[in-house]
Amino acid sequence: MKYAKLWILVLLFSGAARAQDATNIYSMPSPFDRYSHYLATGRVTAAIPIGTFADQYIDKTSLENYSLSVEWIFQGALSAGGEVGYAYFQTRLPRQVYQLDGQDVSAVQTRTLTQYPIQGFVNYHLAGRSAIVRPYVHLSAGGSFVDYSLFYGNLADQQQKFQFAYGAGLGSKFLFKKDGSLGADLRVKYSQTALNYDYVTKGISSINASFGLFYRWW
Amino acid sequence: MHMTNKIMLMTLLMGTLLSACTNDPLRDLSIEDSQVFITNRNKSVDFRQYATFSIVDSVLILGNQGYGTSLSEIDVTILTRVIAKMQELGYQYVSASNNPDVGINVAQIRNSYLNVAPMNPYWGNYWGGGWGGWGGGWGPGMGYGPGYFTYYQTNEAYWYLEMIDFKNSNVENQELDVVWNAQIRGSGIGSTQQMGRIVDAVFEQSSYLKIN
Repeated sequence: MKYAKLWILVLLFSGAARAQDATNIYSMPSPFDRYSHYLATGRVTAAIPIGTFADQYIDKTSLENYSLSVEWIFQGALSAGGEVGYAYFQTRLPRQVYQLDGQDVSAVQTRTLTQYPIQGFVNYHLAGRSAIVRPYVHLSAGGSFVDYSLFYGNLADQQQKFQFAYGAGLGSKFLFKKDGSLGADLRVKYSQTALNYDYVTKGISSINASFGLFYRWW
Repeated sequence: MHMTNKIMLMTLLMGTLLSACTNDPLRDLSIEDSQVFITNRNKSVDFRQYATFSIVDSVLILGNQGYGTSLSEIDVTILTRVIAKMQELGYQYVSASNNPDVGINVAQIRNSYLNVAPMNPYWGNYWGGGWGGWGGGWGPGMGYGPGYFTYYQTNEAYWYLEMIDFKNSNVENQELDVVWNAQIRGSGIGSTQQMGRIVDAVFEQSSYLKIN
């Protein structure tokens, strides 16, 4: 009987030990932690024109900005990827008389600026890859298809160019659950596109605040 | 899902997203706001030297589809309004046979163009430099032709007013100087109801014509 009790005790302890082993198996780092993986983000952006661009051409904040990025999350703190997007500024001025080539032109101006940016970027993350909140510093460079269309009434003056563009920003990724695939992304970015045409003399400058949703996989 | 498939799906989604984003910035522009009044003058001329004017007895029709004259209701309306505005500014209306100092022409310009433009299959006319300048609106003939070209028709119709200096005409060379002109462009300019406001606007932005 004494032996039997001892045997039960041994069994109980070994069971507890086995259970502990099992926990260790499941607490292994997730594949997202162990391997470099991919992450795709769709963003909507509020863009605030700044600087000379805002002073001379369009100063109205735009909510018509969208982008999609795909990035490779490396083992360390870095990630790199590409982002394509669409950005649109528009404002309308009440009727005024403009001097154009010595002529007086009375018109309602509709000023628009459309961009299709295509940029490469690098993110440097300030927290580990398994962190629920993962802030990062963002740098981007590339080009942008720019369409400058200025309407006098319904007459258009249009200029289209592929221009150099770059940007820098701060952002953070927020995982919806630990080790999950889905999350949100908030980013504030300064962006600059070169352009010298008509009213735009020192490029297109804006501050962009974006909200995004991301999906990651490996 | 296979990686390539995923990337392809994403590219497709992005393409759809981008093409859905094409804007028509003028969709909420009113007829009045679409109108553009362009005036031009000889800056060396002092209009106070003139006292009398005459005007054409009907509106001239000019353009690449032919020319002629017209005196429909809208033409009478514009001619009457121009006479009234000139009188308001201090000019005396006389007949053409009474040696007026200036003469006024009123014309409708009607042009129609068939255009061909190279077309990049992915980026529309991004590389083409656009359709800038003072052209008219896009016609209804937009379409894809064979290869990477697009054909479109532009129709323009606008009013043209000019003031000719008879007082200082160069008789030897039979030269007449246009000392002032105006173009009226935009939507609704074929409407008799709009005419009064439009003509007033043109003369209001030409305050230098006032001699009284």
